[in-house]
Amino acid sequence: MKSGQSGDCRVRINVDGVLRTVVYGYPCSIHIDPIEKKPFFHFLPGTTALSLATVGCNLHCLNCQNWEISQTNPEQSEVVFCPPEKLVSLAKENNCDSIAYTYTDPIVYYEYTYDTSKLARKAGLRNVLVTAGYANPQPWKDLLKVVDAATIDLKGITEEFYRNICSATLKPIQDNLVATKASGVELEVSNLIISTLNDKPEEIRELVRWIKANLGGDTPLHFLGFFPRYKMRHLPPTSAETLETAHEIAVAEGMQCVYIGNIMSRQGQNTYCPGCKNLLIERSGYIVLQCRVKNGCCPDCGKAIYGVWK
Amino acid sequence: MTRRKFIKYTVETAVAIVAGAWMLLEKTAARVFVRAERIGKYPGKVRRLSDINNQGRWSG
Repeated sequence: MKSGQSGDCRVRINVDGVLRTVVYGYPCSIHIDPIEKKPFFHFLPGTTALSLATVGCNLHCLNCQNWEISQTNPEQSEVVFCPPEKLVSLAKENNCDSIAYTYTDPIVYYEYTYDTSKLARKAGLRNVLVTAGYANPQPWKDLLKVVDAATIDLKGITEEFYRNICSATLKPIQDNLVATKASGVELEVSNLIISTLNDKPEEIRELVRWIKANLGGDTPLHFLGFFPRYKMRHLPPTSAETLETAHEIAVAEGMQCVYIGNIMSRQGQNTYCPGCKNLLIERSGYIVLQCRVKNGCCPDCGKAIYGVWK
Repeated sequence: MTRRKFIKYTVETAVAIVAGAWMLLEKTAARVFVRAERIGKYPGKVRRLSDINNQGRWSG
């Protein structure tokens, strides 16, 4: 970036040779959401997360579901002033168990995320990332030290998809997925299935095989339905059948916890024990109807269930 | 090869090597992790915090 220029994300600027972030402390959206909405199905089920985002994104997905905030300039946005201390007190006042850095991508408001996470930890709160995971290795590793869980959107399994649809590359995301799982941070993977673009069964199978081989079969996997948005309004929404086929493929390939989101479906809502197959967590939408996980284990067969449960 | 051609060839090669090394250095330097500083004033509109208890309309 030359002096006076902003980066591709629109929110980081070179001001006389010093890199500045314009969004630090200025979220465009703050809400209290169920943790299931992120989606996190294996992280403190039934709790709420103070969820926030600033404008800007380091990806430019043509299908972006939140493009009104991710692909806008700070000059055209309306925000609130909310420094890290205020976020932590808001989360505490509203009995949230965690703070979720979400909606756009926490990588573009990295410093804000990092500082808030450190403060939140001291206050007894957890931190969760909802991200595409498109970051350089060192800052990513540093961020993992202050967060508790991450749901990473693996948008496709080909370089071509990432280049053409997201203006990004696949390899750094795969590396960060592996680094996240290895770090002990609770990891869930989501995959937005877009009609005609990444919905072929063989492509889904390849994606699932990569996840199983590199992250393990216990990694929760969410297949999410796409709605026509931004520059992909000409494509139809993902059908329930497509999502159910993806679910079946993942289960057949040995993934233990596979879910379906953004659509009403009988499949892929609940958590079943990978050992005895008994129901562990029953959900209706984002509401947890019952959670039978005891001390991180199945109460029937004693199998340890991947996740953070208390 | 004439002396003039030899000098031209040498100069061209040296320029190519220096330019390549410079580009490589720039690329490497850009990979250094720099923490961004906060900016004084937000360039957009700053409003008061309103009700946060409604679920976010955004995905995620």
